[in-house]
Amino acid sequence: MRRYVISATCLAWLAIIALLFGPARVLAQPAASKFEAQLIWGTNDSKSPDPRHKPVTPEILERLKELPLKWSHYFEVNRRQFALATNEGKRIEMSDKCDIEVKNLGNSNVEVALFGKGEKVVKRTQPLPSGEILVLGGNAPNATAWLVILKRIK
Amino acid sequence: MTDKNHSSADDAALVRAAQRGDMTAFEELVVRHRDKIYARAYTMMRNEEEAIDLSQEAWVKGWQRLKQFQGESSFGTWMTRIVINLCLDALRKQKRQRTESIEEINEESGGVERQMPIVTVNPTAGLERSELRQRIDRALSQLSYEHRTVLVLHEFEEMEYKQIAKTMNCSIGTVMSRLFYARRKLAALLADLKKQDK
Amino acid sequence: MMEYNQQLKLQAYLDGELPEAEAREVANWLARDREAVALLTELRNTRQALAGFEAGFRVPESEDFYWSKIRREIERLEPVEAPVRPAIPWFKRLRGLLIPAAAAAVLAIAGLVVMQELGLRQRGTPGEAETALADAGTFTYRDFSARATLVWLTYPAENEVAGEDPIGTMD
Repeated sequence: MRRYVISATCLAWLAIIALLFGPARVLAQPAASKFEAQLIWGTNDSKSPDPRHKPVTPEILERLKELPLKWSHYFEVNRRQFALATNEGKRIEMSDKCDIEVKNLGNSNVEVALFGKGEKVVKRTQPLPSGEILVLGGNAPNATAWLVILKRIK
Repeated sequence: MTDKNHSSADDAALVRAAQRGDMTAFEELVVRHRDKIYARAYTMMRNEEEAIDLSQEAWVKGWQRLKQFQGESSFGTWMTRIVINLCLDALRKQKRQRTESIEEINEESGGVERQMPIVTVNPTAGLERSELRQRIDRALSQLSYEHRTVLVLHEFEEMEYKQIAKTMNCSIGTVMSRLFYARRKLAALLADLKKQDK
Repeated sequence: MMEYNQQLKLQAYLDGELPEAEAREVANWLARDREAVALLTELRNTRQALAGFEAGFRVPESEDFYWSKIRREIERLEPVEAPVRPAIPWFKRLRGLLIPAAAAAVLAIAGLVVMQELGLRQRGTPGEAETALADAGTFTYRDFSARATLVWLTYPAENEVAGEDPIGTMD
């Protein structure tokens, strides 16, 4: 008698799954995720020599201060927004010498490749849920730094 | 008070227990390493209150990140790296709020350490341990945080030049010149203290 | 007077940072240069003076007070754990888990079948991975409270770009 009860439970589950699980998954799948990439220059000078460079937003400044970086001022050189469907990748030009290739792997994961002067420098795969930031950076001349910040915005 | 059973366990066993959520095991780790962690914070910050706060913050972070500790280094080393990073952050924030120190101006203006006369007599020879500590303490206070930090990472943390450069986000050349300046300045300061004695 | 680079080389010799051949060169140089010996002695004395400096430090607070502040902060940041339930024999727990486990297994299988049918099978979670070019060393810093990952690259090498346009390396 007990065995019949278990089987009935399983069958009930199976029916629910067949009716709900598949379509629910299809509906739950987001069409595309939106990302934002920023190219930033870090310096100890309070002004950038390029008047087009704007200081970064207070939110970004605050987050950069949390990281072990030594610079006191950060200027936004370029900002790009783009959408990626699951398993879609795009190459984004951040400057003449810096490109990134971002692939949305689904489940909040991304693959990011950084290109310097056309050459691939690093490729990184990691979770990047909304609210997290990935910062790629390196030293630049005269004790300054370049940074690429990637975040998911939708 | 820590669990009596824990006092005979080694660090690795305590870490495993703490990773499972046993806070008394973690407390035992704090008891064992707290002086070392505090000393590192004090050497870097030169302020007792800040050193206590930062060392305690390091322990809280240590607990939060304990699951990431895989035993690549000893637990003590892992904890000192956490406190060093916290101190570096705090020092950078402080630096942003104050003007450059005379030390930094000296360094920038042409490497005074190159012209310093060599201290031929060991200025610490024959000193009692407590007296030696006091003098070094005073001399360290007169170095800029960058010079002191390089010295701490090299002499106490036994990091190689390359590791220091990574930790401080600067080039190996900068590490070498900062370390050289810090050592020469320290020798000169210790020699001055010896002269004042006479 | 010694050149600055020679002074730094002497220091690197003391710190064991020189390759073997260069270390031999410095040893030969020391055998015939008294000024170099004097500088090396000064550097060595300073290093010896520092040894054991931190050993005498003690936290200027009682053990219990120091720990209590740490514990309070940990407890403040972490949700309070649920009270421990009385122990249940393992076979009872196993029996209790049997129905939901069976249901979960069917659920998983059915889910996979449905997803495969619809061509929606996702890639597994890749976790974290990083590959850098041979000449581009990286180090990664993760700050969980700031929800940020920093990947620092030694690209381009600083000496390669010295003298270029101040912001001309990547941006």
